[in-house]
Amino acid sequence: MTEIFSTLFGQNDAQPPSGPAALGFAPGKPPPSMPPNQAPIAAQMPGQLGDDGPLLRKPGAMNEPFYLLRELPVGNDLTGNTNLITHYNLEHAYNKFCGKKVKEKLSNFLPELPGMIDCPGVQDGSSLRSLIEKPPVCGNSFSPLTGALLTGFRLHTGPLPEQYRLMHIQPPKKKSKHKHRHHHPQDPLPLETRTDPTKKKKKKDNEPERRKKKKDKKKKKNRHSPDHPGVTGSQPNSNSLR
Amino acid sequence: MAEKFDNLEEHLEKFVENIRQLGIIVSDFQPSSQTGLNQKLNFMITGLQDIEKCRQQLHDINVPLEVFEYIDQGRNPQLYTKECLERALAKNEQVKGKIDTLTKFKSLLISELGKVFPEEMAKYKAIHGDDPPS
Repeated sequence: MTEIFSTLFGQNDAQPPSGPAALGFAPGKPPPSMPPNQAPIAAQMPGQLGDDGPLLRKPGAMNEPFYLLRELPVGNDLTGNTNLITHYNLEHAYNKFCGKKVKEKLSNFLPELPGMIDCPGVQDGSSLRSLIEKPPVCGNSFSPLTGALLTGFRLHTGPLPEQYRLMHIQPPKKKSKHKHRHHHPQDPLPLETRTDPTKKKKKKDNEPERRKKKKDKKKKKNRHSPDHPGVTGSQPNSNSLR
Repeated sequence: MAEKFDNLEEHLEKFVENIRQLGIIVSDFQPSSQTGLNQKLNFMITGLQDIEKCRQQLHDINVPLEVFEYIDQGRNPQLYTKECLERALAKNEQVKGKIDTLTKFKSLLISELGKVFPEEMAKYKAIHGDDPPS
């Protein structure tokens, strides 16, 4: 048995000492920390471990011929083996934030907030971090301003100088997606939407013919009922029913 | 839970709107606007008092400091939530992969050890019981 083990761990030269005293297993002595290749030796002599040994040895003695054998972890522990997003009912949040593209700028999150809020707060000293690091020195309560205190807020008439008109600056809003699609037809689009431009192209190709047809129909209708409203042309049958 | 936030949100919106109106008054100030300005200033103080009152309801809410960094950089704070969820899922998958691999390794090791040391493994199984299938 030891031969097999030594060949398995590549320690052919190792000569295991014989007897419990050589191993330090004499009664009263705690078991030494053994290298794993000596485990089968212990396995060969299960009965030699004294029952009157110290308490430390008891678990090992119970699990003879093995030592350092621990209890297996309980199976119902929450580990990374389970999908934690599902476990904490966060699928909705995951789909909401990771399913679609979240817009980058702060103004997209707070569109109603006036002023230019997309600039870094460090620039104008309006950062939240500075508020935490250096809290403003003030009292604990807010009290309304009385008549005497309000005299400090008497302002000069006239418009503010340009550099102080921060409230009127708004972040530029992007153009609508439809316009972009028209300008960049080669943009990568999902398959469903890719089919649409070709249809539109076909429609555009046929436009002169359609217009001619429209005019002809208009002329015909005007002959019958001159007060008839405009015709769409796309649904000729429905128009004729009117 | 949501009521607390709704209350705070409402107060914040009112406060922001009041500040916006204050800004409009100040941007082109007229002598007749002084009364309105005084009123708005006191509204501002009332607004701050209302927000202060909301503190009591929200003392158990913790906000990660990283969110403030996103806001300070002019970035959408929802991106933080998104990145957090993505990181959590990636880590979850990594750990699951490790657990699966180690489970396979364990069952393979036990079967191979059983071939070489059948007696010891029989004793081991007697102590630990048969492993659940991986």
